[in-house]
Amino acid sequence: MNPIDDDTLQAFVDGELDPAEAARIDAALAHDDVLARRVQRARALHTAVRAAFDPVLDEPVPERLSALLGPPSPQTAIPQSPLAAAARRQGFATGRRRSARRWFVPATAVAASLAALALSLWWQTGGSLVHVHDGRQFAAGALSDALNKSLASEPDPNAPISIGLSFRSADGHICRTFTERARPAMTGLACHGHAGWSIPVLTAAERSSGGELRQAASSIPPAVQAAIDARIRGEAFDAQQERAARAAGWR
Amino acid sequence: MDLSQAVREGLIPLLPRLRRLARALAGQVADADDLVQIVLERALTRAAQWRPDAPLDKWVFAIARNAWRDEMRARGRSHNLFAPEEAGMTAADGSSAPAQKLELAAAVAALPPDHREVVALVLIEGLSYNEAADLLEVPVGTITSRLARARATLQAHLGKDT
Repeated sequence: MNPIDDDTLQAFVDGELDPAEAARIDAALAHDDVLARRVQRARALHTAVRAAFDPVLDEPVPERLSALLGPPSPQTAIPQSPLAAAARRQGFATGRRRSARRWFVPATAVAASLAALALSLWWQTGGSLVHVHDGRQFAAGALSDALNKSLASEPDPNAPISIGLSFRSADGHICRTFTERARPAMTGLACHGHAGWSIPVLTAAERSSGGELRQAASSIPPAVQAAIDARIRGEAFDAQQERAARAAGWR
Repeated sequence: MDLSQAVREGLIPLLPRLRRLARALAGQVADADDLVQIVLERALTRAAQWRPDAPLDKWVFAIARNAWRDEMRARGRSHNLFAPEEAGMTAADGSSAPAQKLELAAAVAALPPDHREVVALVLIEGLSYNEAADLLEVPVGTITSRLARARATLQAHLGKDT
């Protein structure tokens, strides 16, 4: 067998090899401890680099930036960008509201403020589901319970909170999407860490044209989808993996 | 929907990733967000140049990379925007940020710009070698060699305390 040079090893770790070459390295890994250590080192570095920068995704977006794409929102503890995107999909911007403003105000502007309103309502009525620590949101109460206990493979139609996808993020944490069915319905992403379930994204849930709340997996708001895309490593869990992750305490 | 509205709306969910990219490129929080602001303004101004069949994230990342290069030139520094000792403050401020995250962020900030942008695009943003080569307008071989050298530098930092 040819020795595996650094470039090939790097391409292997980055998922850039064709399947045949990758299989050759996979096979070599089983009986080559030195090679296995090189791969492990490269993967550990990748994980560490991601871990150093991924927390930026969870920070609230400064208002001066989101304001360039829409108006300021009263909710500063929450990243504003996803709200506007979710609200836009909701079709919240009615003609009446828009006509009260100058014609060139983008529809997103109206939609964003309405989404912020929906969110603050949610905070008032369901505020016990979220608490804020160090400027980050964490699941509390029934939301925390649902994230800890509920399985998407065993949905309970009467539960107030349903779970969508579960997956492992590139920095090794398990993340789960959830939808709270009460009105205004909210969808978000929660990621498990030592301090509990942090919530990087929380937005208005999508409704179908008939007004029915869609199932989480079939209709993920773009802001939540973007948060998933930025984190996910590999595929979402199947039922067996989800159950195993629960048994392992989501670690 | 006209292009400028499509770009405006498409950028909203990309803001967190754009801020992460800017943090990796520019280092400090304030500089990174200044960069994001420039990028958003440029993207909105140039919305007519975006082809709707092209991924908006790659398009705006290319704008970010070029804006960052312009900023560095404007500041008259040929190498780092910040001295490495300042770069210690660059890591994302999470409640659970251990020293290693700070050190690694500082190590990324101390990389030469050519290496830093490859780390940001491939390791952090997860672009393929081909996508990064297109975006940076260099051959794929240049991507892999820069990435290998950047990895060696970062690995040396990581290995220091382990």
